[in-house]
Amino acid sequence: MASKRLGRTQDPTILVLTSLSGGPKHGYAVIKDIEEMSGVSFGPGTLYGVLARLEEEGMVEPLPAVGHRRPYRITAQGATVLRERLETNVKVATIGFGRLGTLGA
Amino acid sequence: MTGDPVELALRCYPRWWRDRYADEIRSVVGDLTEDGRPRWAVTLNLLRGALRARTGAVGMPPVYDLWCTRTRVALAAATLPWVLMGPLVLMVIGGQRLHSSAGRIFPGQLSITGGSNQLVMGRGLLTPAPPLTLAGSVAWYANVAMVVLFLLTLFVLFAGWTGFAGAIKRSAVPHRRRLSLLAWAPALSVLADFVLTVVQDVLMPHAWRTSGGRPPVPIGGHLAVAHALGTALVVVALAGWLVSIVCAAVAAKRADISPLDLRFGKSVALVVATLLLLTLAAYTTWGIGLLVQSGQAVHGRFTTISYSHQDLWPLVVVGLLLAATMSAFGASAARRSWRVVSLGP
Repeated sequence: MASKRLGRTQDPTILVLTSLSGGPKHGYAVIKDIEEMSGVSFGPGTLYGVLARLEEEGMVEPLPAVGHRRPYRITAQGATVLRERLETNVKVATIGFGRLGTLGA
Repeated sequence: MTGDPVELALRCYPRWWRDRYADEIRSVVGDLTEDGRPRWAVTLNLLRGALRARTGAVGMPPVYDLWCTRTRVALAAATLPWVLMGPLVLMVIGGQRLHSSAGRIFPGQLSITGGSNQLVMGRGLLTPAPPLTLAGSVAWYANVAMVVLFLLTLFVLFAGWTGFAGAIKRSAVPHRRRLSLLAWAPALSVLADFVLTVVQDVLMPHAWRTSGGRPPVPIGGHLAVAHALGTALVVVALAGWLVSIVCAAVAAKRADISPLDLRFGKSVALVVATLLLLTLAAYTTWGIGLLVQSGQAVHGRFTTISYSHQDLWPLVVVGLLLAATMSAFGASAARRSWRVVSLGP
């Protein structure tokens, strides 16, 4: 139960930016990519809430729509923010794994 | 308009959001449904998103008129819940009765302004009534707090209404005079209630004769007419209240109120939301006090309180909780909207 709760606390901003860092994607493709990447199932209400915020903050931009599907791509600013956030996460993860190793020894 | 829950959920989003994202979301929902994602889960997720879009306004285009409209809607969302729930709370905490195992209590109600000078009729003698239980006292103080909060909120709304009526007068919209008349509906309703209350008070007997072991008898006045006026007062108050809401809503929708007046409304919305939260706390305390008092009363001679409509307590608690949540969201949205509106067109 506790691990499930921890899984749900993953930052949706990071997940969406990480998904788009692999290339432009439309809404459904982002949801599937995040699902495969982290096991987190986004609903359309959550995804478009995050996309609207990221678009407003200039971290993603919409591309011309193909039918009813509009792809989004990460901007340079979005890539910078994602890199900084991932570096922090890696730092925390490295320390965490190190300490777990020490505890296990 | 279809009965499809997804379409209904999409209609809960603001128009600007629908214009921008609805087609994309429909396409995503179609793909997810084909994948086997339950439609009810998607609908719930969309409803949550709609609530966030309405309160947060993330991604909302920087169009001045759009933000003005949002501020007006937020102000309505902050104040209307109290307007609907306030009188209901007052009705539920009305019709108070005092009981004691020692006998019938006179007068049968506690006075907000006076002390506890209740008498109990037992064995043909009037003697001081036993005290309230601790829980009963807590319920009574919560009752007093609710009446005070009601009057305070009414006062704040009255202040907001004067600003609103003045703003309509200053606005340049057509039919301004007719809108002003509509805006005056709440004042006329309160005036009618006030007149009826005064007349009823004049007709009530102001002295009671006690003799021997018999219940007190009224001296002078017209008790039956006063009671009939009391019933008329309830009907007039209720009808006036509902008509006032409709009139004020129509006037607010049609009048192009300036941003300066919206700022005043923002303060009113914040105060009303806070007072509604306090009312929720007092009302919850009141109900719990009433529930606990009977358990305490069995341990000695006490006076207990009951109310005609106290059975409605759980239902009204849920209603108040929803109203307080909506009001808090509205006040928060109004605050944020005002920041954008204050920057000017």
